Amino acid sequence: MSVSNLLENWSQFRHTHPVDDKPHDPYKWAMSIDLDACTGCNACSIACYAENNIPVVGKERFQHGQQMHWMRIERYWDEDGREFADQGAQFLPMMCQQCEAAPCETVCPVAATNHTADGLNSQVYNRCVGSRYCSANCPFKVRYFNWYDYPTDDAVWPAEMSQQLNPDVTVRSKGVMEKCTFCVQRLTAAKSVAKSEGRIVREGEVQTACQQSCPTGAISFGNLVNPESRVHKQWQAQQVEIDKDKQTKDEKEEGSELRGYRIFEDMRPYPSVMYLERVRESAV
Amino acid sequence: MIDSGIDRRDFLKVLGWSGAAVALSGCGNTSVEDGKETVVSYVEANDYMIPGIGVYYNSTCAQCDAGCSINGRVREGRVLKLEGNPDSGINKGKLCGLGQAGVQHHYNPDRVREPILRNGNKGETITWDKAYALIAEKLTGVKGEEIAFLSGGVSGHLKALLGNYLESIGTKNHFVYEALAPVGVRAANLKSYGVALPRYRLDKAKVVLSFGADFLGSWISPVHFSQQYAQFRKGMDGQRGVLIQVESKMSLTGANADRWLVVKPGTEGVLALGIINALGTTSGEIAELVKPYDHAHVTKETGVSASQIDKIAALLKLRSPSLILAGSAVEGYAHGAQNAAAINLLNHVLGNVGKTIEAPSNVPFPQLAPIVGSTASLKSLNDGLVAGQYKVLFNFAANPVFTAPGAFKFKDNMAKVGFKVAFAHYMDETAMQADLVLPLDSALEDWGTQVPEYLADGMQLNIQQPLMEKLHANTRSMGDILLTLLKQRRADEYKNFEDYYAYLRGSLLQNKGALGAGGSDDDNFWNEALTRGVLKISSSSATLADKAATSGLQLPKAETADAKFPMHFIPGVTASLRDGRHANQPWLQESPDPLTTIVWDSWVEIHPKKALELGIVDGDVVEVTSKSGSIKAQAYLFPGIHPDAVSVPLGRGHEAMGRYAKGYGVNPFGILDAIFDKETGELALHETRVSIKKTGARVLIVKDEGAAGGMQMGRRIALRKTTDQVDLSEEV
Amino acid sequence: MKDIREDIAWVKINQDVMKSLENPRKLYWVILFCAICAFGVGVSCEIYQYRTGMGVANLNNPQVWGLYIATFIFWIGMSHSGTLLSAILHLMHADWRKPIYRFAEAMTTFSLMTAGLFVLVHIGRLWQFYYSLPYPNERGIWPNFQSPLLWDAMAIFTYLSSSILFLFVGMIPDLAIARDNMADGWRRKLYTLLALGWEGTDRQWRNFRVTYLTIACFLIPLAVSVHSIVASDFAMSQAPGWHVTSFPPYFVAGALYSGCAAIITLFIILRYTFRFEEYMTKSILKKIVRLTFAIAMVWTYLNAVEFAAVWYSHDEASKAVLIQKATGTYAPFWWGMIFCGSVVPLVFAFERFQTNIPVLFATSLLLNLGMWLERWMIIAPTFSHGLYPWTWDHDQWPSMVQWGMVFGSFGWFTLLFMIFCKVFPSVSMYEVKEMVYHRTLHLKKSEAAEQGAH
Ligand SMILES: Nc1nc2c(c(=O)[nH]1)N[C@H]1C(S)=C(S)[C@@H](COP(=O)(O)OP(=O)(O)OC[C@H]3O[C@@H](n4cnc5c(=O)[nH]c(N)nc54)[C@H](O)[C@@H]3O)O[C@H]1N2
Ligand SMILES: Nc1nc2c(c(=O)[nH]1)N[C@H]1C(S)=C(S)[C@@H](COP(=O)(O)OP(=O)(O)OC[C@H]3O[C@@H](n4cnc5c(=O)[nH]c(N)nc54)[C@H](O)[C@@H]3O)O[C@H]1N2
Ligand code: SF4
Ligand code: SF4
Ligand code: SF4
Ligand code: SF4
Ligand code: SF4
Repeated sequence: MSVSNLLENWSQFRHTHPVDDKPHDPYKWAMSIDLDACTGCNACSIACYAENNIPVVGKERFQHGQQMHWMRIERYWDEDGREFADQGAQFLPMMCQQCEAAPCETVCPVAATNHTADGLNSQVYNRCVGSRYCSANCPFKVRYFNWYDYPTDDAVWPAEMSQQLNPDVTVRSKGVMEKCTFCVQRLTAAKSVAKSEGRIVREGEVQTACQQSCPTGAISFGNLVNPESRVHKQWQAQQVEIDKDKQTKDEKEEGSELRGYRIFEDMRPYPSVMYLERVRESAV
Repeated sequence: MIDSGIDRRDFLKVLGWSGAAVALSGCGNTSVEDGKETVVSYVEANDYMIPGIGVYYNSTCAQCDAGCSINGRVREGRVLKLEGNPDSGINKGKLCGLGQAGVQHHYNPDRVREPILRNGNKGETITWDKAYALIAEKLTGVKGEEIAFLSGGVSGHLKALLGNYLESIGTKNHFVYEALAPVGVRAANLKSYGVALPRYRLDKAKVVLSFGADFLGSWISPVHFSQQYAQFRKGMDGQRGVLIQVESKMSLTGANADRWLVVKPGTEGVLALGIINALGTTSGEIAELVKPYDHAHVTKETGVSASQIDKIAALLKLRSPSLILAGSAVEGYAHGAQNAAAINLLNHVLGNVGKTIEAPSNVPFPQLAPIVGSTASLKSLNDGLVAGQYKVLFNFAANPVFTAPGAFKFKDNMAKVGFKVAFAHYMDETAMQADLVLPLDSALEDWGTQVPEYLADGMQLNIQQPLMEKLHANTRSMGDILLTLLKQRRADEYKNFEDYYAYLRGSLLQNKGALGAGGSDDDNFWNEALTRGVLKISSSSATLADKAATSGLQLPKAETADAKFPMHFIPGVTASLRDGRHANQPWLQESPDPLTTIVWDSWVEIHPKKALELGIVDGDVVEVTSKSGSIKAQAYLFPGIHPDAVSVPLGRGHEAMGRYAKGYGVNPFGILDAIFDKETGELALHETRVSIKKTGARVLIVKDEGAAGGMQMGRRIALRKTTDQVDLSEEV
Repeated sequence: MKDIREDIAWVKINQDVMKSLENPRKLYWVILFCAICAFGVGVSCEIYQYRTGMGVANLNNPQVWGLYIATFIFWIGMSHSGTLLSAILHLMHADWRKPIYRFAEAMTTFSLMTAGLFVLVHIGRLWQFYYSLPYPNERGIWPNFQSPLLWDAMAIFTYLSSSILFLFVGMIPDLAIARDNMADGWRRKLYTLLALGWEGTDRQWRNFRVTYLTIACFLIPLAVSVHSIVASDFAMSQAPGWHVTSFPPYFVAGALYSGCAAIITLFIILRYTFRFEEYMTKSILKKIVRLTFAIAMVWTYLNAVEFAAVWYSHDEASKAVLIQKATGTYAPFWWGMIFCGSVVPLVFAFERFQTNIPVLFATSLLLNLGMWLERWMIIAPTFSHGLYPWTWDHDQWPSMVQWGMVFGSFGWFTLLFMIFCKVFPSVSMYEVKEMVYHRTLHLKKSEAAEQGAH
């Protein structure tokens, strides 16, 4: 409570992520999404609704842009004016990128959104006053505000429907911001089990809900600092490093056979999600 | 994840089958004080219920016919979330969005909770005893021929019980109706491969040339195919599989293709024969057949350029094996089965049969094998209704008043039946026409077994078990209802089965040997079956034929457009809404359509070129009129549709069913003409012709995509490379 | 033309000003009634929004800010001229400030209070607003000192308290006059209390002058920093259209601009309703008008700087926002801002309009409309056409609830202002006397000089 306490903790409270003298250890949660595998099926998005108590807002509110999907599947078309979309569409699952230097964090007046030791951008609902500054500053626009009091709205969770709610996850009340958490409740549970057994969480032991449902296995998730993890291996194979704003691939765009990239890397949010470029057959 | 220490027997007992009713109080409705609920002491909690800890039980997804196995997370006695059961070869731990929405079917606030006796628009709640008595009374003196039973596709023990009941009331009139069944493809496959549904092996193919098979979205077993697809894309030896999709309206699969080829609706078979011609490797009767299908002819008929045909032919020659799929978009014509047969011929020519087309497993117990539905079957029922042939009509797991083509006038014809019973989950359109509505347990409360038609991973019997106690005291399992009705007729034979659970368990234990567990103890076997959720059964493979089914193969010439109805009408089938039976699950309504990102509403897909011609812009309300009716919906300009076609998705436009379904969108089934496949008699879903007209109204389209309309505007968001720029073999 | 007649008797000054506390023209009551009604509309909208949720404002994800923030900046801006000008002109010994600075300072205080309300109605959990204040607490949780929003909160609190202090201190001698001239009643008790025992002794005057000067010196950098900090809310973010280095001076210029325009409007209203024609002279008005014109041109210049900087930068997204502003859905409003902000003030360049009260009244309202549009055009286009195209929303339109609260804020401001002018002397009596005295001295000097020349 004291000011000295504040001052002491200040350097801890806000330091640039990632930094050499404070590497994430033993956890740094990260993801990689293979756009060549993703079919745009939406299973991950619905899994996220189910796992994280996301309200269904209804047609009228959706029309007003008040939808709450933490995971949205974006569909892009070719922009070269072809008559038919004869190279198909391009799908992109987009949720909070858990930025290491998160633009949303620095602007929150009450520090309700924070960086955790294991590299997540956390959202503290109880602390949020609903200024929505974080959303204004998020480059990916993946923050969703509770415009209404969904828990008490009978169209959203009528009596029976509310029995489906996951007790491990808060039901957010009106006026607070929310977003993808990398299913932090699952991470916490896994870490707790591992801790009681005196070890760290093993690869494959914890899955995010979206990853778990994805029929094509497009989403990998895991501990980036664990060399055994698939995510670590994928990032390494793609030569994508978390604390760089320009990767090998960008340096030699022409000759590179690498597919891994992060969105808006040049703005230096240092996202924790690596995408793998979609591939198209050149022979047809 | 499954705690093996749990005593399954106790669990099952509590679930209502031993009569020891224990009410589990869920969060949010504690009414302990007023005595409405019993307090359960956590000190003496039942051992299947660990406070604060989720436990997992396996069961079977009932949201579509693919037969994926679910793994339900249960906490404090409530099922929270459905995940995939890794033990099932069909879905290997994965689950589609539709499947996950199963919990919203279970907890749906609009479920029917009491038996209802309807009189006009009024309904009166009655007891089950009264309902059963009423059925007995209404059947008295009615001849077998005067009774009709309409159902969706059924398999497993429910099918056996249903068959027994129909026999007991002396009727052979079992009509099995599925609005979206691959009838034409089955017929063609039988001719080409000797089996209705072979196993398709995308994962073994280097090229997949799919003619309108939306295998990633709604076709046959999408979760299974999606997994195969992922493997196919990773490829063998670093060579990524190539997907070419041929269709007139882009499906989800089309959106993922390397090359999406738009063809004139109904000319898919012509293109297939054109490719065979271009391959130039055939002789004999096939060469004879494809001779007229030279580039000029095929290009004129289909609209696909000669160079494109050559490219495909070259690719197919170069990369083998390939897999040619004939899907639902090709069978929806008066020559649908022929269309599919012409496409199947490609597999024969390319030598794919036996490589990427494999023999399916036989189902060793014919009693449990699925009976598959068709609209042809509904048509014969409808003909009977027109003729006033039936006095009693039962309806189960079908909603023909909503899904029958408008030309059938099914609702009017149904009204001619004196006594109509609907076994229902919701007051859907058909239940609204019934005299007696009997409420069913949800799939997550019910017992059952199921044999999927498409045995993706060999013969398996799927087990369905309750994931929690019933939500509503007065719903019943369909199995229990049938058993009770059977006891009305054949009390002696069924007296040993206290309930459907007993019947099921008894039946499985009796056939333990055949199920591959001859020696094991009854309880062990049963618990093991429930724990695993599937019984994998060794069985023989069917015999696969590799026939050049050319005889009688004849594709019609392109016809001249009807001046009054110049456009083709393509009913869109989406992965989450299908034929509309799950439209009251809000996750599905709010889950954006992958291609248009529209939610909660219907739309008319129209090509931008055509739209420009007609002066239509996004959001214009257009009227789509066929010979059989008309619908009005917002236009959505879509680069994935043939300019001579429009498409409206199926599944929305309910007039009843519940708060999340009723009043959202329009129902395209209503404007379908009664045109049938000449060979199979199945409804030709894509044969309806329509005209479109602007109404003058314009609405704001409710969709996820923003004002940029799916453009990246120079930002580097979703990036792409061509295969010659990557090296997949180096990847993890 | 003179700033003030030099032959007004001191007693008359007292009487004239004291009269404004008693019986203003009927128009006063009409304005007061309208203000109460407008405020009522705003309050009803807030009650509705508070109970139902922010959604009724028709904001969305990611268009998370709307008229509340735009109008918040507008009122903060409005607050600038009063106190800031008063302080600068005080330091510069500009005599003509004296009859008008009191109401201008009141305007500052009340527009700050209005601005504060917009922060409250904007946040999703109004009931937890105190989380953003750095107060010592059991949990050891502090606000985020890195957030410009927090700087904002602190700057505004400081500015508000300093402004109130400045207003109050400057009023003490007048409160004593009011105390001495008022019949017994609650008002007299109030003036007695607030006059802090002012007797007009030399010592009191000396202390008073030093205090007043000190506060004035403190206020000038503070006021400049306040709007620079408000500008930081935007300039420190990454959003295209906001990430602009020139924002702080641009905001300060805009603030002075709207403040001056508002001073003109209120000048004209007060002059009429309280019969202040003797004190609020056309000559003073002319000076304000010229000042406003100068600031308008500075604002125009800074606009041009911003557009040019965006145009020649490599930031395609910012450029796209600028193009969108000029050609997209918001184009009528954006051009409206340019017209009202840069074209309309050209009227002020003509001498004959500089004292034409109806023209000035209409023009000043247009200028403020332009300045309000400026704020809205900072907020809305960046959200509707931001960095991430998937979330673009060009149809976003504020609901009636938002408009209602904007409307209500004018009621609230007018209400406070009108009550103030009726309860406190809105023209500084003691300083007008000084002004008259200075003028007579000046006159005598020039007369003497004239005589000497003969
Ligand atoms: N040996 C030992 N003894 C201890 C302790 C210890 O650590 N060891 N801990 C001590 C402490 S800290 C405490 S707080 C006490 C707790 O002792 P108790 O207060 O006796 O708590 P419980 O044993 O939980 O019993 C509460 C009862 O309330 C019922 N109940 C639950 N909800 C409701 C409701 O809504 N309405 C009503 N009317 N009843 C309800 C429950 O079914 C249960 O029977 O025990 C003390 N005793
Ligand atoms: N599952 C479950 N959870 C509950 C309850 C329940 O009935 N069941 N009851 C709830 C209630 S009412 C309460 S009060 C809380 C109690 O929750 P806790 O306070 O966590 O209670 P305990 O587990 O009894 O004791 C905590 C720890 O204190 C240690 N301890 C004992 N004596 C001392 C000492 O002198 N010094 C120190 N430093 N440690 C000591 C004990 O070894 C133990 O590890 O739990 C709440 N949570
Ligand atoms: S579930 Fe997988 S394939 Fe489907 S949209 Fe999500 S990431 Fe893509
Ligand atoms: S993606 Fe947006 S919300 Fe997530 S950490 Fe980055 S800035 Fe914050
Ligand atoms: S909305 Fe909440 S989390 Fe976001 S900036 Fe405001 S207080 Fe912080
Ligand atoms: S990681 Fe969890 S919270 Fe984030 S999108 Fe996936 S399911 Fe939702
Ligand atoms: S495909 Fe989807 S809906 Fe069908 S059974 Fe599988 S999980 Fe269920």
